[in-house]
Amino acid sequence: MKLRILLADDHEIVRRGLRALLEKHEGWEVCGEASDGREAVEKALQLNPDVVIVDIGMPNLNGLDTTRQLLQHDPHFKVIVLTITDSDQVIREALDAGARGFVLKSDAARDLVSAVEALQNKRMFFTPRVNDLVLAGFLEKGQTVSRNEAPKLPTLTAREREITQLLAEGNSSKEVASLLNLSTKTVETHRSNIMRKLSFHSIRDLVVYAIKNNLIQIELPPPPPKTPTGPGPAAAWAVPVRSAVRNRNGTLFGSTVCRWVRLRRSREPIF
Amino acid sequence: MTIRILLVDDHPIVRQGLKTLLEGHSGWEVIGEASDGAEAVEKAKDLNPDVMVLDVTMPRMNGLEACRLLRQECPALEILFVTQHDSPQMMREALEAGARGYVVKSNAARDLLAAVDAVSHHRVFTALNGRNVAELR
Repeated sequence: MKLRILLADDHEIVRRGLRALLEKHEGWEVCGEASDGREAVEKALQLNPDVVIVDIGMPNLNGLDTTRQLLQHDPHFKVIVLTITDSDQVIREALDAGARGFVLKSDAARDLVSAVEALQNKRMFFTPRVNDLVLAGFLEKGQTVSRNEAPKLPTLTAREREITQLLAEGNSSKEVASLLNLSTKTVETHRSNIMRKLSFHSIRDLVVYAIKNNLIQIELPPPPPKTPTGPGPAAAWAVPVRSAVRNRNGTLFGSTVCRWVRLRRSREPIF
Repeated sequence: MTIRILLVDDHPIVRQGLKTLLEGHSGWEVIGEASDGAEAVEKAKDLNPDVMVLDVTMPRMNGLEACRLLRQECPALEILFVTQHDSPQMMREALEAGARGYVVKSNAARDLLAAVDAVSHHRVFTALNGRNVAELR
């Protein structure tokens, strides 16, 4: 019986590449595709795949929350997370969410087949960097907490995280309500709770929070070319949010987000 | 006459996806691949493609720098950017660098074939999310 794999990535080009890679393997079959996290959860429940491969940076519901929801529905789902970054935070969140595989997109051609094979054999698969981090975590256990450790931020509920992502993607409360089958009033209540919990005063704060906490991912553009007369004034680059999508009216929110997230020439975000 | 295409992207998975899309088209052939801008310039000089499908953000040399260099080294080559950056500002930079086309990766499956067709006939093709496709002579 073939191993059935569900692919979830918002780029059809990437899904094509993944499918071409995986279907070379005899005995494996891509049984379905999804272009966002919500669709991934629906299709996983319908198709009951053996392995689900999810991109972290998807619109509507990101890959980490998709993983959490899948495992809430059925803890036997085996999820491999694909990401453009292997920062400590992303690794920790993927592990906490219950992913059994973690693969960098840039290394997917090399590692994804091994990752699926591992999960097929009831093992986990992580990049070496993840293994180092997990080991470091074990070694640190039992040591005293540093006095300089930052206080923990308030935790958002799963629903609040979903709503935070959708708002940060540019959806209005009404649009969020429609996407989540909630009343607008309920969404507004959640929104107020989120803003109060995180001590935010504007949607800009929410967008920045969503980027910092990997609810949405951004890819930095290359630096502007140097001017022939030497360093000019600091160039401001608008960073298009990777998971930018149209809202339900077809209006791209991206231009609004671009105004809020600027980079200096050093390419460090101005948060 | 076969249109010879060189694919340049730092992600092999993306190159694979682009290749499966392009090679379905009769009369087009993917003659090579490169994973950064510097390799793109070397391979363009070696293989002499008609069209280069080029990413922007890459290690070693990004796509914009490669495009500027290729304008001098391979003036007959037509360059089509396929990128994550859904930004009019970036698109302007790309066209000023000498590209003939610019499409966004999230819509590549929809726009790529028309874009390659246009640039291979020396027509400008640009498409950003939410904006009209512009195909100019």
